[in-house]
Formats: sequence, C-alpha cells, structure tokens
Amino acid sequence: MTTLTFPLSRIEGHAQVVIETQAGEVISTHFEAMELRGFEYWVQGAPAEQMPVIVPRICGVCSTAHHLAAVQALEDAYGVEPPPLAIKIRELMVLGQLIQNQATSMFVFTLPDRMGLSSIFEDGDSEDSEKIRGEIVGRALQVRKAGTDLISLAGGQFIHPVKAVVGGVTSGIDSKAAAKMREQLAAVLPLAVDLIDTYWNLSIGMKDRIGDWGDDSATYYIAAIGDRDHNFYSDEIRVMAPDGEICDSFSGREYRDYLTYEETDYSYAGYTTYKGETIRANSLARVNMGEKAGLSHTDHFLAKFRESFGKPAHGILLYDLARGIELAYGIERALSILEEPLDNEDTDVPYTPRDGEGYGLIEAPRGPLIHHYQIQNNLISEANFVIPTVHNVQAIENALRVVAERYIDANKVDMELEQAVGRVVRAFDPCIACATH
Amino acid sequence: MKRFAVLQLSGCSGCEVALLNAEQWIDNYDLEYMTLVMSAYEIPEVEILLISGGIRSEVDLYKLRRAVCKADQVIAVGTCAISGGVANLGDRQAVNEIFLNEADRLHLPDILPTCRPIDTEVDVDLYLPGCPPTPDLFMAVLEEKPDLKIARTVCQECGLKKERDMRPKHLLGFQQGEVLSDICLVNQGYLCIGTSTRGGCQAICTLAGNPCVGCRGPSDAFIEKDSQVWFKSIQRVFSHMTDIPGTEIDQALRSPQLSMFLFQFADYADIGQAPRPKEKVI
Ligand code: SF4
Ligand code: SF4
Repeated sequence: MTTLTFPLSRIEGHAQVVIETQAGEVISTHFEAMELRGFEYWVQGAPAEQMPVIVPRICGVCSTAHHLAAVQALEDAYGVEPPPLAIKIRELMVLGQLIQNQATSMFVFTLPDRMGLSSIFEDGDSEDSEKIRGEIVGRALQVRKAGTDLISLAGGQFIHPVKAVVGGVTSGIDSKAAAKMREQLAAVLPLAVDLIDTYWNLSIGMKDRIGDWGDDSATYYIAAIGDRDHNFYSDEIRVMAPDGEICDSFSGREYRDYLTYEETDYSYAGYTTYKGETIRANSLARVNMGEKAGLSHTDHFLAKFRESFGKPAHGILLYDLARGIELAYGIERALSILEEPLDNEDTDVPYTPRDGEGYGLIEAPRGPLIHHYQIQNNLISEANFVIPTVHNVQAIENALRVVAERYIDANKVDMELEQAVGRVVRAFDPCIACATH
Repeated sequence: MKRFAVLQLSGCSGCEVALLNAEQWIDNYDLEYMTLVMSAYEIPEVEILLISGGIRSEVDLYKLRRAVCKADQVIAVGTCAISGGVANLGDRQAVNEIFLNEADRLHLPDILPTCRPIDTEVDVDLYLPGCPPTPDLFMAVLEEKPDLKIARTVCQECGLKKERDMRPKHLLGFQQGEVLSDICLVNQGYLCIGTSTRGGCQAICTLAGNPCVGCRGPSDAFIEKDSQVWFKSIQRVFSHMTDIPGTEIDQALRSPQLSMFLFQFADYADIGQAPRPKEKVI
C-alpha cells in the first residue's frame, strides 16, 4: 500500500490530506484536521454572560459568527428578543464578515491556483501574470478591507468583535459614520464587480485546462438563509435534496434530530451527515437555494451563474464562483441597510439571566453554525459547537476521491494531483480552528 | 527589502488576519512563509520571524524549534504565543483532565499536557501582545522605528469622561444593561481594567462600549512584577472611583473572561518563568 500525504496551505489552520492506494486503486482519501484547542472543555464553568467575549477566540477568521451565535444562544436561554435595530446592526456585522471572507477566499486563497502562483504576494514569473497580479492585489485588498471596516463599525473591532450583547447591541451607528461607510462601500463596489468578472474568466481558463468543474455528484445542501431573499439572518436551516427540491427544514433547537455527528480516529474534526446522507454547506448551498435578491449586481451574477450551470449546480469548483455572487451581495445589501436610520431607536432591551438551555443559529460564511449551551447557576455546564466546516467533511473526502481516482493509476501518480487536492479543499474554504475548536 | 516569515502554532489565525490588514508591509517587506496565504513548506533564512499561537502539540514544538534557527530576530505575537491567552481557560485541572482524555486519537500527533508560551522553549527578542494586536501595532514592530505613539495605558487612549460623583455601589459585571457612550465604564460599574492595561490598541473595546479585558497585558508599571501586583492596582482603582466592596471586585477579577489575559508575562500557568523585561515588549 502506498500513502500519499499532502500538507495544506492557503486555508485557515493546520490540516493535511492523506490518500492511500494499492496497485493504482484508491483505498481511502482522508481530510485530517491536525490541531485541537478544546473550547468545549474550557468554557465549562465560565459565567454564561462571558461567552460572547470568549468564543470569538475559537477562530479569528470567523469570530463574528461565533460572537453572534453566543449572544443568540444566551438570548434563547433567557427568553429575550432583541429590538429590530439591533438585528440590523448585527446583520451588518454578518455582511462585513461575508465581504471579508469571500474576498479572502477568492483573491488570497484560490486566485493563486488560477495563476500558477504559490501566493498572491509572490512575484509572477512572466510579465503577463505579473501585470494581472499587480492589477488584482491592490484592489482585492481594498475590497476586503471594506468588509473588515464594516465589521469594525458595526461590531467595534473586526477580529473578536464586542458590540453585540445579550438583549441587543451596545450602540447604533450615527448618520455621519453610516454615510462614510456607504461612501467606502460604493467606491469598492465597481472594483469588486470587475474583480468578480476577472476571477470568473480566470476560473473558466482553469476549468478548460483541467477539463471540468470537479466532483459533480448530486448531494443534499443545507443553509440557514431565509426563503424570500438571500437573508443571512434566518432562524431555520433548510435542506435541499439532490434534485433541487427543498425537502426539509428545522430550527437550531432541533439539530440533533436531523444532523448526526461522528468522530474519526484520524482527524480532530469528525463529520456530520443529514439522516445518513452526505451534505454540502457554504456558498454553493446558499446560491443553489437563494432567489433573486433585488440587488442589481447580485442578481446579474446569480442569473449568469444559473444560466451557465443550472439549478442546483453541483461542480465543486463552482463554490468559488458562488462566492463572487455573495461578495456582490454583501456589499449591495450593506449599502441598502446603511441607508436606513440606525441610531433612532432603542438598541437593546433589559433582561434577567436564568438557568436553562439555549441555542444560537447563524449562517456563517461556511454554512450553518449552532451554539448550544446548558446553563446552571449562571455558569456554562455544557457547550456544543456545531461547526459549518464539519458539515462539509464528507463531501470534501468524496471530492478528493474523485481527483485521486482521476490522477492515480497502476503505473504512476500524475503530478497534477497535488494541485488538484489543493483546489478541491480550497473550494470548500474549510476552517480548521473552528472545525476542531 | 527585509525578508520575514510567519509561523502559526496553535491559535485562531486572528493574529494573521490582523497582519493581513496591515497591508503597508506588502510593498516594503518580502513575505517568505505564511501558510495562511502561501503554499510553502519550509521556512527559508529570514530576518524577522513572527510566531503566533501557543505550543499545544508535539508538532508545534517541532516546528518551533526548527523555525527559530532560520531567523535573526524572533517576535512573539499575540497572547497565545506570549502567555497562553485563551488557553489559560483550560488550566483548571478538572477541565484539563477530561480534555486530555478526549484528545487522544490513534493517528494524530500528541497533544501536550498544557499549552505553553513559546519562550518556555526558545529565546524571544520582542513581544507583541494583544488578542490580536491591531494592524498598526504589527506595522510598529516591522518598522524598527515605529512612528506610532503608544500611550502607557488603554485608559489614556480611551479618554471617556470620569465623573467624580458617579460612584456605583455594585458591579454590573462585564455587560448588563445600558452603556452610556461618553462616561468612563468604571463610573458606570463595569469591570473595565483599561486603567492598568498596556496602551496601543487605541481603546477599541471601551470606545465600543465594552470593558477592556486586558488582552494587551499589564502596562510597563506592572509588567516586570507578578500578576498579584496587577490585580492589586485594579482593586485600588475601583476603591478610589467607586463604592463597590473590595470582595466583589476580588471575586470578579478571577472570572474566566479576565483569566484569559490577567496572567500575562508574570506568573502565568505556574511555569516559574522570570517576567519579561519591558524593553522587549511593544
Ligand atoms: S492571541 Fe488571540 S487573535 Fe491571536 S491567535 Fe491567540 S486567540 Fe487568536
Ligand atoms: S481595550 Fe483592552 S481588551 Fe480591548 S483591545 Fe485594547 S487592551 Fe485589548
């Protein structure tokens, strides 16, 4: 038996892919998350009210999602409804994170695969590629920064935000600050649209070179977005069947009846299934489920996507293109929310802490995230973090098997395999710090 | 152009993301290694090595030892690398025991009994505390002559108005109820420790209405002493500015939210390391 190990880069955290083969036959493809910090244990005994400050440290890439999921879980346990203005400010945090994340995944993590570089910070080897790189990098970082600035504005700081509190948010956004943010977002919107087109074309070039969009087996998809538009602030998870029908839905509270988590002995991440079936979450799931958003660029890119790939679309590398639609969405949706008054009403409601159980659900960039707490004597007695990346682990391993079978035969291993492994994993944009927590 | 590398041990990538936002380095420095943004498998010889995250597994230890030989200057960034940071929460024995039992996996690298700061293993030339340090602070360490003015404490950078006659009788904790946006959080009864926390972050938390939890560690006045001295100074502030009973403050200071950071530099995690000299801390 031969074992091939591929360390991974340009993803969050420490992971590797291990492929076992025998006489050209692929025996197994494992996605191995190698780090573990232990948050589910650490938080035991922590005062519940401190969770929104502690849990963002699970992951600096997704800290906004953890911050908000924690606040929601506590609100659920205490029976508090935050006022509408607080929900709007929180949605802005989510959108800032979406902009930041999709821009990072597209232009920092996966663009190098389309240009044959090891990093966008490395000089290109030809004049041509250097020119494209030069044009892209500065603008891409500018778009990304608009996302982080939006989180800072709505959340206080862009890593480990602090402004969401049980019952609401600490403050609104005054009209001057909102106008300034709008200006910045309006300025990056055309840059983003251009970059999305460039990225789209480079992706088609890559697909032509390798032949297809990768593993296109039909699977179930899950996302916690509302059914009317592409709303990231929904309180139910919907399930789409392989044929594109919405076949199920459930609340955060019911997750154990629908999702099964299993551990493995080769990874600290484990995996989840939906009633025993492989699922996929993240951008492609949302784009498959989402309808028109009523936002011009978003709808334009969505229509182009549907026309080219149908609904539901299954090709793995289409995840990357779907992120482009969401990047446009993040900017356009934030622009429209920032037009409304954001400092005219109450930002929070009073509440009384009590013991019990609480669930928080948020659609993070990588899919539905659930925080589930048990509270005794105002202390956390048990915490479960249901992590988006983990929903995708089985789908990642299936997609790895497809490339492994394609590039390995009895006589040789095609050198392209290493690139292919990287492309497949990055399409899912996994986050290892979250997955293992 | 100076060559630099970023080694990430067990952390959350927040430090790396903050560095990405300090984009001024892009034109002036050569990034040679940083797996978050680059496919590269060996750290080449570099002038500056930034290390984030704590030593949690055998693999961390191995990577750390190999990496430091390649660099002229080693900089520990973020509280995880410097003093354990959020990993300090796992130091309670009962919790740690369950954790270590659960962490055992047949085919994975071994997890070490505790998560340790990097200077328990290697020499560190400079410390950049913060969870994470802000992009400006990253630029300040990369440029040797930082033009960034760093105030002694967060309190000085914050500047919210202190009210002589606003003396709360009980602690509101960290976050409960309304926050007045222009008045010192201590006057409002929140457990803010910005009065003795190292400046440099521009008071981002307190200005957003959230008490400082001390992620930058103690200011120069306390940094070379053990953490009891830091504790006491915070108690003094509260007895000076409020009528909250000392026992209430004392108990609150031992909460997990603060224990993530209150053991910085000094007698963290009972390792018995000498405190770090303040000249080495940005
Ligand atoms: S110091 Fe904070 S931001 Fe940096 S790795 Fe540790 S938890 Fe993350
Ligand atoms: S205000 Fe305090 S907790 Fe917040 S970033 Fe500054 S030092 Fe850290």
